[in-house]
Amino acid sequence: MRAGEEQLKAWMIAGLAGDARAHADLLRALLPVLRAFLRRRMAGQDDQIEDIVQDVLIAVHTRRATYDPARPFTGWLFAIARYKMIDHFRVNGRTCTIEGLEDILEAEGFAEAADARADVTRLLQTIPAKQAAAIRATRLDGLSTAEAAAREGLGESDVKVSVHRGLKALAERVKGSLR
Amino acid sequence: MNRPPISTDDLIASLAQNVAPVRRHALGRRLGLGLGLGAVITLVLVGAGLGFRPDLGIAMQGTAFWVKWLYTASLGLCAIMATAQMARPDAPMPRWLWVLALPVAGLAMIGGAEMAQAPRSQWLAMWLGHSWKVCSTLVFVLSVPIFAGLLWSFRRLAPTRLRLAGATAGLAAGGWAAMLYCLHCPEVSAIFVLTWYTLGIGMACALGALLGPRLLRW
Repeated sequence: MRAGEEQLKAWMIAGLAGDARAHADLLRALLPVLRAFLRRRMAGQDDQIEDIVQDVLIAVHTRRATYDPARPFTGWLFAIARYKMIDHFRVNGRTCTIEGLEDILEAEGFAEAADARADVTRLLQTIPAKQAAAIRATRLDGLSTAEAAAREGLGESDVKVSVHRGLKALAERVKGSLR
Repeated sequence: MNRPPISTDDLIASLAQNVAPVRRHALGRRLGLGLGLGAVITLVLVGAGLGFRPDLGIAMQGTAFWVKWLYTASLGLCAIMATAQMARPDAPMPRWLWVLALPVAGLAMIGGAEMAQAPRSQWLAMWLGHSWKVCSTLVFVLSVPIFAGLLWSFRRLAPTRLRLAGATAGLAAGGWAAMLYCLHCPEVSAIFVLTWYTLGIGMACALGALLGPRLLRW
């Protein structure tokens, strides 16, 4: 059973007069009201709602002098809740969803870069594995000849020869596919 | 999961332990106290730093002094009322602030009448007075303690339109600072006050609007 405007307002006014019990009743009664208010506006971010609920409760307590008993209580409450929710969004701006992520990636050239990488991988599969490994180590992963030799378990001159032959073979394949 | 460090039930229990009664008009008192504390500092700065005008007693018997005081007081009064309104989270927009145009228009009419009675050769002197170079800056600087006092008041208040609340607080600080500056400033022409006082008050208002979103956050 959720408390309505009249009951909440009565508790609030009693709390303003110093009635600690009415104040505690008020804060407890606000929980379902605030959770429902925030849940309607923050679909999919349920884990953050309780944080904001607590912020609102603290504000209701510490800033209760700003309540004017001549005005509706829920209007005052929801104004605070809305402010705290927006403030929360501002602080946590990085977690908001990005509209049209695909368009952004397209514009930034991610798609093209990914396509190029796929082409290279496909071409490397067409030459002997040792040559492909040597090229990947020295030309794609940016290792020195000595580092590549250590990683692939080959001699340094073997790496150099493999790279040389592999590149030549790749050039043949590309030329062949263009012809 | 992002669980708050304290359970909500514990939070309510701890908040409910400290329920001091809130006096009627607590918001007004709080703003009045901040404004008053700032004004005392400004008054000391005017008295000790600039010095009260030596002919203050005589000047207070003339109309020029009261025109200045009425002008700055009406701006300061409207602005502090708007600030009190903006201190509530559910405040409507203070559309009634158009009344600020009335003292400005009134002073402009007085200024026009004064100039009509004076020879054209004196107009520039009336407009610039002796202190046009420093007047606006002094009003602006003197508004800072009052603005700081109002910021202190806002620590227990709940504005939700921070820029507007900052602007009204700045305007109030500027208006009240200008009123206290009258105790030093010997200028008499209305056109001088209209230009240079208003400029200083406007600068205070602009500073408030600029800083409001940052300093009034809660």
